[in-house]
Amino acid sequence: MVLEIYAYQCKKCGQLHYPFRMVCKKCGNKEPFEFDTVPLPKNGKLLTFTTVHNLPPDFNVAKLTLGIVELENGMRITGQLKAPSPKIGMAVRGKVETVREAEYSKNFGMVFYPA
Amino acid sequence: MREVYVVGIGITSFTRLEYPLSEIAAYPAMIALKDAGLSKVDHVYVANMASARANHQTGLASAVVDTLSLTPAGAEVIENGPASGASAIKQGFMAVASGLHDTVLVTSAERLREVNNLEATDIVASLSHPLAEYIYGVTLPSLAAMFTRLYMQKYGVTERHLAMVAVKNHDNALLNFFAHLHEKITIEGILDSPEAMTNNPYVAEPLRFFDCCPVSDGGAAVILASAEVAKQLKKPLIRLAGVGQATDTHCVHERAEPTDLLAVRGAAAKAFHMAGVSPADVNVAELHDAFTILEIVESEEVGFFKKGEGHLALERGETRLGGRLPINTSGGLKAKGHPVGATGVGQAHEIVLQLRGEAHKRQVKDARIGFTCNFGGFGNNVVCLVFKREN
Ligand SMILES: [Zn+2]
Repeated sequence: MVLEIYAYQCKKCGQLHYPFRMVCKKCGNKEPFEFDTVPLPKNGKLLTFTTVHNLPPDFNVAKLTLGIVELENGMRITGQLKAPSPKIGMAVRGKVETVREAEYSKNFGMVFYPA
Repeated sequence: MREVYVVGIGITSFTRLEYPLSEIAAYPAMIALKDAGLSKVDHVYVANMASARANHQTGLASAVVDTLSLTPAGAEVIENGPASGASAIKQGFMAVASGLHDTVLVTSAERLREVNNLEATDIVASLSHPLAEYIYGVTLPSLAAMFTRLYMQKYGVTERHLAMVAVKNHDNALLNFFAHLHEKITIEGILDSPEAMTNNPYVAEPLRFFDCCPVSDGGAAVILASAEVAKQLKKPLIRLAGVGQATDTHCVHERAEPTDLLAVRGAAAKAFHMAGVSPADVNVAELHDAFTILEIVESEEVGFFKKGEGHLALERGETRLGGRLPINTSGGLKAKGHPVGATGVGQAHEIVLQLRGEAHKRQVKDARIGFTCNFGGFGNNVVCLVFKREN
């Protein structure tokens, strides 16, 4: 099974949104659930990043690198970054993996690697 | 719309407080009532963000109004994240301006030090988008850090500029008895010396320990009143002349220009428009420096300096005490402290002190127009206030 993160495309005007919203940002389409799901592209370039040293209790690691990636269709996504020496503008490729695990919950999200 | 005046102020120390949350809200309220010379008010607003999760208490306003023996006055909690304080003042303004009430107590409290530091970080991180940010380990410092990296690249802001904000605000806090951090710091000690990486480690690169505000407990209160009441009380007449609020995308990554803080720009513009003054008229300002970068960027977005030039004004000393426009004379969130939901009321407290001429060693000479910017989320909900001395 291939895990995907989805963008939400307005059925009226075609505008893509990520994350989900109830009303189209572009045309104001107010009909409920008038969005198609479209998988987000996996390739993009790194817009900005940080290595965090002070993490919430769910993370059993000393530090974690996060980034915002501009995907090849121009959309942006926040995710985790696994790259030894990240640089703004570097090409990255995303995989959907477990990003947070607590006693009763598990979250999947986008993890980026050097392309 | 009726005119609205600040007739009383009170504050606790911003620090670790070992007494109940409702008393943290009630104590500054008592000081403010005494300051105003009032024993009753028509209505009470209590600003707080995290009582349910950090203190296992809900319905805080009901506890506070009763602790103060102000029943049966109406009372509500106002929660708007880190901008709860200024939002509560905005509600009080609306209540008096509309004619619904003549006197309103706006008090506030936060006690996040009841939980440990990582738990507090997680509570604050829950301001971020649950599915598109929070799950990844996004925290407020991490959003500020990613923003800082872009700002550095685009506008030439350096770690040295960030450290200058920290040094300035720590210096100011040394003159404020109620501030959380009474600790003289130097650029040498936090950036240049061989011990700098130990003194000042990275929290979220490129932001270091001294770029981030402390987690504080604390409360602050103001009393708002109609002109008729204010003129009977014989205090300096400080009018809440402008109130502005604006929002932005919940997710930081959805902003068209990731180095803009459009909610700050919009909220400030509305507040200045209502007050009928321009940013150049302001004598003293409290900006929301939860991270040093934010003082620089807000000073641009509210219109004090051109976009991308806030760090240059800082270099020239324009924003320190004695400069053209002193910013964060209280020590700011950086050193006065950041009791999250109470911060906006704390900012108003400092500006009213300044406009009354009661700020002692940190007094800005002849201050007549003051400004506050209270920044919620990572800039997704911002409330700005303009205060004017009228006599
Ligand atoms: Zn649409």
